[in-house]
Amino acid sequence: MSATVSRSAASQTRQRILDRIRSATRSSKSDVQEALPPTYIRRGKLTVERRLALMVERLREYDAEVIESTPEDLVASIAAQLAGSGRRAFVAPEGLAADWLIPGFDWKVDHGLTTAEIEQAEGVITGAYCGVADSGTIVLHHSPIEGRRVLTLLPDWHLCILRASHVVETLPEYFDRCAQPPGLVTWISGPSATADIEMTRIKGVHGPRFLHVILVRDEL
Amino acid sequence: MSVEAPAHPILDPLLAPPFPQAALPMLRNPQLRKNVGHAIDVIQAKRAKVVAEKTDWQDLRSAASAIRAQALGNLGAYLEQFESKCTAAGGKVHWAADAAEARQIILDLLREERASEVIKIKTMTSAEIQLNPFLEAGGVKVFETDLAEIILQLGDDEPSHIVVPALHVNRSQVREIFARRMGLANLSDDPQALTAAARNYLRRKFLDVPTAIGGANFLIAETGSVVVVESEGNGRMCLTLPRIMITLAGIEKVLPRFQDLEVMLQVLARSATGERMNPYTSLWTGVTPGDGPQRFHVVLLDNGRSSILARKTERQTLKCIRCAACMNACPVYRQTGGHAYGSVYPGPIGAILTPQLMQMHHAQSLPYASSLCGACYEVCPVKINIPEVLLELRSQVVNQERRQIGRFFDPMYLGMKVANFLFQKAWRFHLAQRLGRIGMRLFTKKDGWIHWLPSIGGKWTQTRDLRGLSKQTFHEWWAARGKDAK
Repeated sequence: MSATVSRSAASQTRQRILDRIRSATRSSKSDVQEALPPTYIRRGKLTVERRLALMVERLREYDAEVIESTPEDLVASIAAQLAGSGRRAFVAPEGLAADWLIPGFDWKVDHGLTTAEIEQAEGVITGAYCGVADSGTIVLHHSPIEGRRVLTLLPDWHLCILRASHVVETLPEYFDRCAQPPGLVTWISGPSATADIEMTRIKGVHGPRFLHVILVRDEL
Repeated sequence: MSVEAPAHPILDPLLAPPFPQAALPMLRNPQLRKNVGHAIDVIQAKRAKVVAEKTDWQDLRSAASAIRAQALGNLGAYLEQFESKCTAAGGKVHWAADAAEARQIILDLLREERASEVIKIKTMTSAEIQLNPFLEAGGVKVFETDLAEIILQLGDDEPSHIVVPALHVNRSQVREIFARRMGLANLSDDPQALTAAARNYLRRKFLDVPTAIGGANFLIAETGSVVVVESEGNGRMCLTLPRIMITLAGIEKVLPRFQDLEVMLQVLARSATGERMNPYTSLWTGVTPGDGPQRFHVVLLDNGRSSILARKTERQTLKCIRCAACMNACPVYRQTGGHAYGSVYPGPIGAILTPQLMQMHHAQSLPYASSLCGACYEVCPVKINIPEVLLELRSQVVNQERRQIGRFFDPMYLGMKVANFLFQKAWRFHLAQRLGRIGMRLFTKKDGWIHWLPSIGGKWTQTRDLRGLSKQTFHEWWAARGKDAK
């Protein structure tokens, strides 16, 4: 009974707010322009080589570790990164290529790992939806090769495999690649950081403190 | 050297003293002014650099402004679209007409979930509705998770900036607060060590507390998605680990389309922290099975916004995306810091937003807390003409005061009445000039300056000198010169 009463009170509040908004905007319909044709830069102008160089430069400015690899050498590059990390226990999303899970390390593949299991991992390896060179941003849509959000959050070390053919120059070019708006997105620009104390940039507050990127030169 | 901590600042516009009075203790606190000045210099320099890189910056500003204006012009339709999309994706949308309703909705949700603790992403909207004290009184313990918010919560302090809320606190003050409240006697004042202390302090909370509250940078009408822009990863923790997520958002936060983010994300971080992009931006849509909170609520808050929407000049206030570029650029904010504004929204945007949220019944001194230099308008990424709104609000304040009984005997009011009469006819004006010259001679010193005036004139001379009137006006000089030539 009381739930019904409060539900009808809630719907009255909703209607009251919407009525107030409608009466506030009624007289101003003429002010509302349809979206203007954009005059800002939507398409990049750099050559492929310079676009990739910019991506690498921007990532390094965020203190991310970046190496380049040919598609043929990718597995060896991953093995070298894992070995160089000094870590043993890794998690991986379920859609990752099987040969990326280099033997000799402890792998847990996420077929529904618990938070505690992910928290115990020392690192994670994932793919990426795309990279934006202009701001050095890696975009995850959390598909099966990019993993659930928690996977790239709790482990302290993140190795991200980014294909050069997926690197765009400008942010609008990323939006052009999205045929449908995605439901889940994480835009990552460098490892977790804060400047809350005297504006000094400190790496690694809560997210991964180490971001490693392998740029796979598959663009040719 | 130990610095006297300022008394707990009052950020409730109903209780805060007028701006000039609230600003005095800040102006007399050299440590605070040094902390604020340093932080602002750093942000300003970074912002200038990354904005200069963008050859299309003015085009981006125009586009961002147009997108926000379009969202506001059709706000009702976009909110309904957001609601239906979010609901279809498994979220639940609540509507709150004012702060009290929003607080009650959130507490009821927490009680339904039997939550005794809650973790929070930084949200200025929750500070606006004074959510934390209400939840604590209702038996829910609140843990802020943004580093700056932890500093304030543990230091029993209030935010002085909307992006870097603890910018008035320096590292040794942070060390003192953390050492005392976290029981870390040997903590150093190295920002790295202080940040690590915060990480350890919160890690278990993130893993254990099942309920989180956050704000929204943007709501996307087209998809029902919510966007949170952050740096530290505490936002991602709160958006990913808990079972229940509650988002509190002002009704103005909506963007029409997903693609509008291609503009907003280019201007927001550059304006806010002087970065090309902030470390983490999260977008989610309702509930995603197997990923993140499985119960999701959005509380849409009006709290005075719909009446701002109704006013032609003032509506642009609601275009604000809370980047804080205006306060970083403001010469007044730089001197006083944020607490003087008596509101969680300080600086130029606070000077126009707070009095309007208070329906012009409180905070009427704020529209005067500006030199009208226009620096805020110049840096605003959504082109809010803050000086224009300040002037509009000042005229409303004057009209309010004019209606007050007893106002007739106020020297300022009388002076304006007299001036109005004198300026109507040239001969009255010339006569007044001549009389004024005689009267002012009494106060004009040998150097040609007036250093002191009695009564209402003292409001001018207590902060600056006044040039004495010259012996001859231009008119008189011109007329005399003509005669000489003949």
